[in-house]
Amino acid sequence: MAPPSVSRSLALLWRVRPGAAAAASRFSSSSSSSSLSAASSSVPLRSYSTAAAIVAHHDDNHVYPASPPAVMMKGVKMAGRPLYLDMQATSPVDPRVLDAMLPYYIDQYGNPHSRTHMYGWESDDAVEKAREQIAKLIGANPKEIIFTSGATEANNIALKGVMHFYKEKKRHVITTQTEHKCVLDSCRHLQQEGFEVTYLPVKKDGLISLDELKAAIRPDTGIVSVMLVNNEIGVIQPIAEIGEICRKNKLFLHTDAAQAAGKIPINVDELKVDLMSLSAHKVYGPKGVGALYMRRRPRVRVEAQMSGGGQERGIRSGTVPTPLVVGMGAACEIAMEEMKHDEKHIKELTDRLYNGITSKLDGVILNGSEEHRYSGNLNLSFAYVEGESLLMGLKEVAVSSGSACTSASLEPSYVLRALGVEEDMAHTSIRFGIGRFTTEEEVDRAVALTVDQVTKLRQMSPLWEMVQEGIDLKSIQWAQH
Amino acid sequence: MAGGAAAPSPTQVRELFKSLLREARKFSNYNVREYVKRRTVDGFQEHRDASDPAAVAAAYEYGVKQLEIAKRQAVVYNLYAPKVKSIMDLKIKPSSA
Repeated sequence: MAPPSVSRSLALLWRVRPGAAAAASRFSSSSSSSSLSAASSSVPLRSYSTAAAIVAHHDDNHVYPASPPAVMMKGVKMAGRPLYLDMQATSPVDPRVLDAMLPYYIDQYGNPHSRTHMYGWESDDAVEKAREQIAKLIGANPKEIIFTSGATEANNIALKGVMHFYKEKKRHVITTQTEHKCVLDSCRHLQQEGFEVTYLPVKKDGLISLDELKAAIRPDTGIVSVMLVNNEIGVIQPIAEIGEICRKNKLFLHTDAAQAAGKIPINVDELKVDLMSLSAHKVYGPKGVGALYMRRRPRVRVEAQMSGGGQERGIRSGTVPTPLVVGMGAACEIAMEEMKHDEKHIKELTDRLYNGITSKLDGVILNGSEEHRYSGNLNLSFAYVEGESLLMGLKEVAVSSGSACTSASLEPSYVLRALGVEEDMAHTSIRFGIGRFTTEEEVDRAVALTVDQVTKLRQMSPLWEMVQEGIDLKSIQWAQH
Repeated sequence: MAGGAAAPSPTQVRELFKSLLREARKFSNYNVREYVKRRTVDGFQEHRDASDPAAVAAAYEYGVKQLEIAKRQAVVYNLYAPKVKSIMDLKIKPSSA
């Protein structure tokens, strides 16, 4: 009895409200108008937070009426939002992806695991459609896709899950020194548990040597993990060849394809990979969702990381986030449709950026293989320039010195050091990431700003002066302090 | 608007092209605005010499769907447009600190 009456009275309230307001103003017009004016005048008097107060202060003063409102963040004053060239850290959500996601944030909010009503069924249909879209992008079967919270979780499940499952016989893991932190950290964790890990070195171009891989394989090796496209330098590892070696030795091959999926054509059968990690937010999808591909034939088995409701065939318990998964599916489908367009556009812009910078500056070095690379990632080192100063000077360009995960530290990138890049050059690296939404004007602006900033910093540098005078810096005996 | 599998008239095609560009200009976000413009021009150029009526109809249908998405998303983007514009939208000379 109670609920209907409550809802009825609520509806009544809604209907009554405007009428009551009108009545109030009708009967006491003078008092209501004065209270209204008091209310409106009191709005600006409301105390602001400090940040807002600064902005408001600037607005009120009108000191520079012509200049646009500037932003101040972390002590850096910017005229506007910087142009974004950090696509390896994350990419903007494609409007088409958002369009696919929004219904699942509004009316279709069901739990995809609910089996007893329409809300559950429609969400489940959406999740399964997304699974198909993702599988199609990598040439897999939808049943081989497990949704995770991102590529990090997928990497964790792949490495720890496989090794834990086969721990009786398999005690050894092979990976590379240039992997993403989450792979390296999972390996470190396995080492603490008593497993052995071989970290393969890379050649100067960032690629691993197949002979070294063959030499590292042992009878008790369980899994080989090599990333497809490197997040910092963009080199593409020869996964198909590695897959061939792994098949021959009956090893599982895992590849982290977070930076590759949707950007370069991928087929899990051609690459002969058994596990693959994917991420949505690197392909213009939402953050917080990823997927793990797990081959069914020959079957790969893993131990689950999380205990719970047994979703995703028990491999990843926890409610599947329908809107995010739908977004990832849409992002993968769009990436597949747009790959040709994107590739052409990104290649053009990357060439424009590289030629623009190298035609105006000497001592610029491209890190990683020139030939085997994804073109949207340009990792450049600027000789005789201090990296942090350069990044600070490029405040109107959102770029990074390497991985976003390690961009807080002042240490040079471990990936560049694995390549054998000298310490000083590793310190001055900048990663330019170009994507679907980057424009020619942005690239031109980034070139102009970079050239300007590097020139300026070099003019201040005594090292640059010495180099210009023909002094070999390596011959200098630096005084010890 | 799109009559099933029937090929659209040249006027309809031109109208779709113009509508897409019009929607593109409405985006508050610099990058999306430029992308929709570029992708529209590329898309129409790609099908410029298409003669198969079924292919033309399919491409037209696809374009109409994209226009609907663009219309909805232009509204969404503008609802949440940041107060601070992209520096690419500010007509100022590149400054270097």
